[in-house]
Amino acid sequence: MQRMIARRRERGWFRDTLPFWLILPTIIVLLAVQVYPAIYTVWLSLHERVPTGWNWVGINNFTRLFNMGLFNESMGHTLIFLVGYAGLTMILGFFIAQLLNRRLRLSGFYITLLFIPWIIADIIVGIVFRLLVVPDYGLFSGILQNATLLGPNGISVLTTSRPPALFGAFPFPPAPAMIYLILASAWRALPFITLLMLAAMQTVPNEIIESARIDGASGAQITRRIMIPIMLPTMVVALFSLTLSGMNGVGMVFSLTGGGPGTATEVLSYLLYSIGWRQLNFGRAAALAMLIAVVNWLLISGTLRLTRVQERSI
Amino acid sequence: MSSIPFLSRKQSESILANLLILLVCLFAMIPIATTVLISFKGERDIIRKPPIIFPCDTPTQSFDLSACRWATEGYERVIAARPSATSPLGFAITGRLIRTYIPNTLIYASVSSLLVVLLAGMSGYAFSRYRFRGHGALMTGILAITGVPLLTNLLALYQMGTTLRKANLPFYDDRFLIIFVYIGFYLPLSVWIAKGFFDAIPKELEDAALIDGCSPLGALLRIIMPLALPGMMAVFLLTFVNVWNEFIAGYLLVINNAHKPAMFGIYEFLGQNIINLQVLAAACIIIAAPMVILFLFTRRSFFRAMVEGAIKG
Repeated sequence: MQRMIARRRERGWFRDTLPFWLILPTIIVLLAVQVYPAIYTVWLSLHERVPTGWNWVGINNFTRLFNMGLFNESMGHTLIFLVGYAGLTMILGFFIAQLLNRRLRLSGFYITLLFIPWIIADIIVGIVFRLLVVPDYGLFSGILQNATLLGPNGISVLTTSRPPALFGAFPFPPAPAMIYLILASAWRALPFITLLMLAAMQTVPNEIIESARIDGASGAQITRRIMIPIMLPTMVVALFSLTLSGMNGVGMVFSLTGGGPGTATEVLSYLLYSIGWRQLNFGRAAALAMLIAVVNWLLISGTLRLTRVQERSI
Repeated sequence: MSSIPFLSRKQSESILANLLILLVCLFAMIPIATTVLISFKGERDIIRKPPIIFPCDTPTQSFDLSACRWATEGYERVIAARPSATSPLGFAITGRLIRTYIPNTLIYASVSSLLVVLLAGMSGYAFSRYRFRGHGALMTGILAITGVPLLTNLLALYQMGTTLRKANLPFYDDRFLIIFVYIGFYLPLSVWIAKGFFDAIPKELEDAALIDGCSPLGALLRIIMPLALPGMMAVFLLTFVNVWNEFIAGYLLVINNAHKPAMFGIYEFLGQNIINLQVLAAACIIIAAPMVILFLFTRRSFFRAMVEGAIKG
């Protein structure tokens, strides 16, 4: 009898703490793979590897990083890449979503077809786009290298270096390779952003649009005064998500340009790899990782705030 | 737009929209279509100057369907079949991409997605059904980790991997580390998606089972799980594709070449076949096609997971 009571009490205890046991494995995994490495990175950024182990160097890693010429240059590259990539994807995504929002009979088919690029790995997309511009043999090279309009020998996307900079050290105008990298990245991100935009567009109530039309609003006015204000939170979320993936995506740089020609497409994420694994300077690379992580956190918390506001308003 | 006769304004608008969208689709498909075409060309047609789109020209004609020189040379060189006396098929595949890297990725993707489904199912259920101390804080914590990219943690994970290797643990190799890392990185989003799916299952069903004498765990396994299966399937597929497509962690964290994943294989291929475009194209298609086909067959699941996780991810 006593044993039965004890067992029942045990079962009751297990029953009461069931949610804890269900969540525990997730917490352990997340602590081990996400939280601990994040703290470890902070530690790494304050140390330097010496033959005997690790030496405390304080903020030296950061100051040395800021004094690297390549760091400043790749800040510029990253800025140009992000503006081009996010801008192009947002604009194209908005227009394609507007086309799809007409509830065409074949919408489902189009969405499926347009979505395929998103399923393909970034490194493969890089190779696919590289195939088109391989010097001399790529299909686009045949056209671009003969375009004497663009220069004496035309343009070879992978090897033509950056034109002289207009604004001091800021790497503008970018090399053809950078523009091509933006195009390839936008091609892959476009389906996701289009779908986000489409979902937001479908939340705009039809009655509002109808009544605006009856009141004599033009299509452009409806888009600017009604659609965009209602879609704004989603558009900012899309922008943040693009910035996040653009900051941290490295596969396409690896396979499409390898940071080249020269350093023309060396963005911060690729610089992190080269400092860390080519120069084997983990301290300085961790300092760079910290900077990228700060930007990531700003973007993520911005997204959180926006989606929270949305949830509350629904 | 009313200039098209016999059609109402609405009809002509819809035709125009259809045409535009078809144009967009065509543009979007150009890179894929050219890759397929390149993969079926022979070496002779690859190194042509100026390059040709179809390998179908003759000295007199630019496009002659009967003169096409389609070749499977690219695929043959990726597979690299060699006659073998021991194999039952009479030949053995010696291409490392097919022999080593793709099976590795298959293992990583299936093991980590199965475990992600299990863990996300458990915690998603708990978050959906129970209110306990720290509920909101934990949820926000997981939400905050969702979307944190792998890149910034790679240095620390690499160092952890080095330490673990030095510790000479029995049974341990890089495969455990990489699977663990993949689980950790695709779990937060999956927890959210799973919670959303559980929220959609009415609590009354479960209450009825509990009143009829079912244990909470029994109710979870017998009542909720079957209903949640489509959602769990979506989580599985999304994680599977994510792990299959992941490059940088597999490239840096796995040291032993025999354990490297397919995306490393294709990167290695790029280095070796910089000029053999047909081989590169064939390798790309061999690795990307399974995911595209999987997506085409299960797109409903994908879109469902995306809608659940879109804003959060």
